[in-house]
Amino acid sequence: MQNKFVSILCGGLTRAAVTCPLIAALGLAMVFAPTEETMGQVQRILYIHVASAWLGLLGFAVMGGCGLAYLLRRNLAWDHWSRAANEIGWLCSSLTLLTGSLWAHSAWGTWWTWEPRLTTMFVLWALYSSCLIVRSSMDEPHLSARIAGALAILGLLDLPLVIMATRWFRGIHPVSPEMEPMMQVTLLLNVIAFTVFFGLLFARRHSQLVSESLLHQLEIHVLADHPPVVNEVRTIPPLSLETF
Amino acid sequence: MRTATTLYWLVCKDLVSEYRARQVWPAMLMLGALVTFLFNAQLDAVVEGKSRMLAIQVWLAIYFAGTLALHRTLTTEHVDGCWDALRLYPITPAWIYTAKLTVNFLVLAALQAVILPLCVLLSNVPLQEHAWHMVVVAVLGNIGISSVGTLLGGLWLCSRQGASMLACLALPLVAPVILAASEATRLVADSEIGPQWWRWVGLLGVFDVVFVTAGIVLFDFIIED
Repeated sequence: MQNKFVSILCGGLTRAAVTCPLIAALGLAMVFAPTEETMGQVQRILYIHVASAWLGLLGFAVMGGCGLAYLLRRNLAWDHWSRAANEIGWLCSSLTLLTGSLWAHSAWGTWWTWEPRLTTMFVLWALYSSCLIVRSSMDEPHLSARIAGALAILGLLDLPLVIMATRWFRGIHPVSPEMEPMMQVTLLLNVIAFTVFFGLLFARRHSQLVSESLLHQLEIHVLADHPPVVNEVRTIPPLSLETF
Repeated sequence: MRTATTLYWLVCKDLVSEYRARQVWPAMLMLGALVTFLFNAQLDAVVEGKSRMLAIQVWLAIYFAGTLALHRTLTTEHVDGCWDALRLYPITPAWIYTAKLTVNFLVLAALQAVILPLCVLLSNVPLQEHAWHMVVVAVLGNIGISSVGTLLGGLWLCSRQGASMLACLALPLVAPVILAASEATRLVADSEIGPQWWRWVGLLGVFDVVFVTAGIVLFDFIIED
């Protein structure tokens, strides 16, 4: 009982420690950061856009690294990390495309243009989506992990080439724009707060995947020992972790 | 020497098998030619930037028609336990990858030999004026698409999934090749052979080295079962 209370308390404190800085950083970005002269209020999208773009790239690095570790060790624990990074990375790159599109509508008068950096991000998003499609289309965990791992490594190798290719195009996307010190601080705080927040999401998703995997093993174990009998009501004996 | 001989026979096996069965090459060449015709039918309306349009069309036609062959290369091994027999050859999986890559390179080269002259004929864009430069771009682009395609073909051989996803999975991965090859082709069409052209060719070369190496290393991990 006491352990459960401590566990709930620790969980609550962790969530508060992660969420409060995020809310504070967003508040700083939306209210306290100075308004940009040319763009006006729309420029505030930048604080979310940059943070999510950074996490999109970081997610790919984590996914590729864990994919490589899985291929070398054949331990599904690495695949759980890789899968969590895939999902969080996909979410962040989708957020980047969405916020970028909102900003572009105001700044360039169009929701989308085939600008090099936008194309880069779209390719990254497509790579994330490919890995998700592969994972969702296969039931066998090791096969899915092997194929998604190989795809993640290929994508990771591809990424610098995509970035290099698009840098040689003449683009209109702003590169390192000059900002006031207060804006720079706000941007930095938002990047840190988003990183910590998505780090928590990443850890939570990983623990969910581990539980899912354990449950799957449990189901296999129960079915192997007590196969279902048609037209017969049966009770399954209680199981404990010692069963494994 | 023995490995080189085995590699030679592996390549010959696939080429002879396709020559006898004629299952993919006619369909691939037909699709490539049709796509080129349809693309070029729209090019007459283009006044400015015709070479840019042509360049991307050429590489998309090569990619989409080539996907048929890329998928076929390894799925043919499904039949009659061919894959198990292939694994009994006295060579490492890396050499199997190299053999399949060579076959795919030759198939795509045949496709390019049809599509590129057809584009010159239909669009009047003078790609032939710098023929050797165009050949360099074609070869490097071909290796890039083949290396990724062969590896993904291997993934699909293991997964026993349909071919439908191969094209959509490979496209994001080969996007830099298609971008770089189209830009280099445009520069050839505009007779702008200079540092810019070399830069794109360099990018294609880097991509080829990275992905052929990755393919050789990863193939062993992918097909181990």
